[in-house]
Amino acid sequence: MGNKQTIFTPEQLDAYQVQNKLNGLFYRYRDLAPQLVPLDYTDKPDVTLPYELIGSMPELKDNPFRQRIAEVFSEDGDGNMTLDDFLDMFSVLSEMAPRDLKAYYAFKIYDFNNDDYICKSDLEKTVNKLTRNELTPEEVRLVCEKVIYEADLDNDGKLSLEDFQHMIIRAPDFLSTFHIRI
Amino acid sequence: ASMSTRERIKAIQKMPETMKKKREIRNSLSEHFHQLWLWHKTLKIIGGEFGTSVLSYFIFLKWLLSFNIFSFLINFSFITVPQFIAAEPNNLSFTGLELLTGAGYFQQTVLYYGFYTNATISKTENGASYNMQLAYIFTVGIYFVICLLILLFSMAKSFCRNFINPQTYSGNASKLLCTWDFNVTNEKAVKLKQKNLSTQEGLTDVNKEVQNFSVTERLVHILLHLGAWAASLGIAVAACSGVYFLSINNLEVRTDFAACFWRRIFPHGCLSYTKCKLWSVRSNMTNGHPTIVPSRELTQQLSVQLLVLFLCRNIILKISIIGILCYYWLDIVAESKSQCWETLIGQDIYRLILVDFIFCLLGSFFGEFLRRIIGTTVCVSLGVPEFDIARNVLDLIYAQTLTWIGILFSPLLPGIQMISFFIVFYTKKVSLMKNCQPPRQVWRAAQMTTFFMFLLFFPSLIGVLSVIAVTVWRLKPSEECGPFRGLSSMFAAVSEWIKILENYTGSKWVVWIYNNLITSELFFFILSIIFLIITYLYWQIIEGRKTMVKLLRNQIVNVSSSFSFILFKTQIQDVHQKAETVGFAVPGRKVTWRGSRNHDEKTHHLKESSMPPYSYVSLCLYIT
Repeated sequence: MGNKQTIFTPEQLDAYQVQNKLNGLFYRYRDLAPQLVPLDYTDKPDVTLPYELIGSMPELKDNPFRQRIAEVFSEDGDGNMTLDDFLDMFSVLSEMAPRDLKAYYAFKIYDFNNDDYICKSDLEKTVNKLTRNELTPEEVRLVCEKVIYEADLDNDGKLSLEDFQHMIIRAPDFLSTFHIRI
Repeated sequence: ASMSTRERIKAIQKMPETMKKKREIRNSLSEHFHQLWLWHKTLKIIGGEFGTSVLSYFIFLKWLLSFNIFSFLINFSFITVPQFIAAEPNNLSFTGLELLTGAGYFQQTVLYYGFYTNATISKTENGASYNMQLAYIFTVGIYFVICLLILLFSMAKSFCRNFINPQTYSGNASKLLCTWDFNVTNEKAVKLKQKNLSTQEGLTDVNKEVQNFSVTERLVHILLHLGAWAASLGIAVAACSGVYFLSINNLEVRTDFAACFWRRIFPHGCLSYTKCKLWSVRSNMTNGHPTIVPSRELTQQLSVQLLVLFLCRNIILKISIIGILCYYWLDIVAESKSQCWETLIGQDIYRLILVDFIFCLLGSFFGEFLRRIIGTTVCVSLGVPEFDIARNVLDLIYAQTLTWIGILFSPLLPGIQMISFFIVFYTKKVSLMKNCQPPRQVWRAAQMTTFFMFLLFFPSLIGVLSVIAVTVWRLKPSEECGPFRGLSSMFAAVSEWIKILENYTGSKWVVWIYNNLITSELFFFILSIIFLIITYLYWQIIEGRKTMVKLLRNQIVNVSSSFSFILFKTQIQDVHQKAETVGFAVPGRKVTWRGSRNHDEKTHHLKESSMPPYSYVSLCLYIT
């Protein structure tokens, strides 16, 4: 952890509302690129770490969805994260986040084309990521059709956020699997 | 950049409350960051390599450990430390064997009930005094009340979060989108998970037909099931009678360690035999038909059923053994004329816990280490074993039940169990890393954790509370040792104290509470009636809400299908109009609308749409 002292203004501490317990996550962020991230955050430096550094974290490097996760939580949508985005990401993926929040972000992660619906192409990409492209296109198509058949309540051929949330109710494990320990 | 601003604006407009929620969680996250420090790194590694299901066992172990730590701390500070002040010297000699038998030197130490004094301890003349009897009974009582409350709330919270809706679980959509384990961070484990997922998906699509077993095959299955049940129940009865007769014959030779050991081997042997029977049943059902490749749903249904059966048999066996032991202790040992029967029970429980601990380690050695050696060298088709979560959790619950029973008779027993849990944690972790592979099938971690918590509450804690209640209210404490010597029952200490309090005007309210609330049957009767009424009301509310949810679902379906119906109808209208303009007369045909797919439930609800939305009705009138 080191014995260096991090410096935040009282307003920043207020916004984060913790004392030095925030340091754990901040140090993880800083360890990715110590030369870019200053210890002194009082003047609100505009520091963004590129996606390659975020994606190389041991918690994320083998996750097939790491790129989508970084894109969803980053400000510019490209995966480059500020400290704020980093903290948001790990707080949503922690145990404490409520189910609705997790469902919202899981939906955004699986929505590859960002159109607020999980359509067939999004599902196909998800299935390929989950199975390392080992299924034939015919099988992928069958699986996607089955998923839409089961989960699409309003018959528009794609899954909206409400369909997705309704599906989550049937998967009580979701809260524990959609969780990254840091 | 444009996407980012659009996204941001959308995020801000759509869900402004998520921002606030995120802040709140971030704060609580950082607070909890330090609270989880014990074994945090280890749990992360285990979760990373083996997934959430195996991790749930270790989290359960850590949770049970916290119960023991709490109990040990309060027993030590409120009961043992005052006893040290008023301790009598120990004349017995210490040989190493006492660690195994729990008797001998340990009999005159703070480990057992018998050593505690019944006096009121005071350091100086006319100074503050400490009533050992009250301290003992209140410490144990309050600990159990706190345990009960903690378990109740954890169970309720867990059930609320992981609400089990059995008929809708077999959803492929949720399986695909909601069960990827984000905890898994090990590259090999991730690849293995992906491979499992792809083989499961492939199998489902290829073999979707439901397997219809022929009549003879079904008969064979039923007979196998009946045979397995008969075997396990018979073994349970045999084990219990064996335990009972061994205990009866052992009454004279109390320090016979070998007899205690044998008493423990027998139930474990029965358990492993029942498990072998179960494995043979499972292999018969899934591998006995090489021509049929079972679909994923069928294999999973079968494995869930087999798991539940295995759990039921295991639980029945363990409960019956503990039941027999409790009966033996409370009915026979307590009524016997031996000195200090509470210490004897305490020693018994100490030996049981020790042997259980040894067997746990041996089980790990044989079940995982040797099995891996066999699976990789001698008989390669078996493969590397998987970590058997169910069996291990049941062992933990059994050990914790024994500890809870023993708290009254041996106040420092949770400390011993604490040490044993520590050792078990590290042993299991090492064994897991070296010998096991990640689980192949889906293990519903959240539901199983809720089920195990329920098991800990219902047979385990409630049983222990009944045993303690019988001991405290009905049994006569031994005459010559322990803090309750000479009284008619352990609870008599409290009633005597209340009688003393009646003489002080300042504590009249305590006496009033005791007489009218705690010892009054009418109060408990009225309380039970009120609880029953409240439960019934909540049950009716739940039923009403279920019906409401169903109705709302139908409405969604109706609205959506009515819109596609309207679209279809307008298209037909267009065709008609175009045909008329061109000059063709389209014969009047009744347009029968069918659902866009053969959804049984959706067409069914369409036919009897008892509550069509207003807009649907008005639009239909407009078109027709």
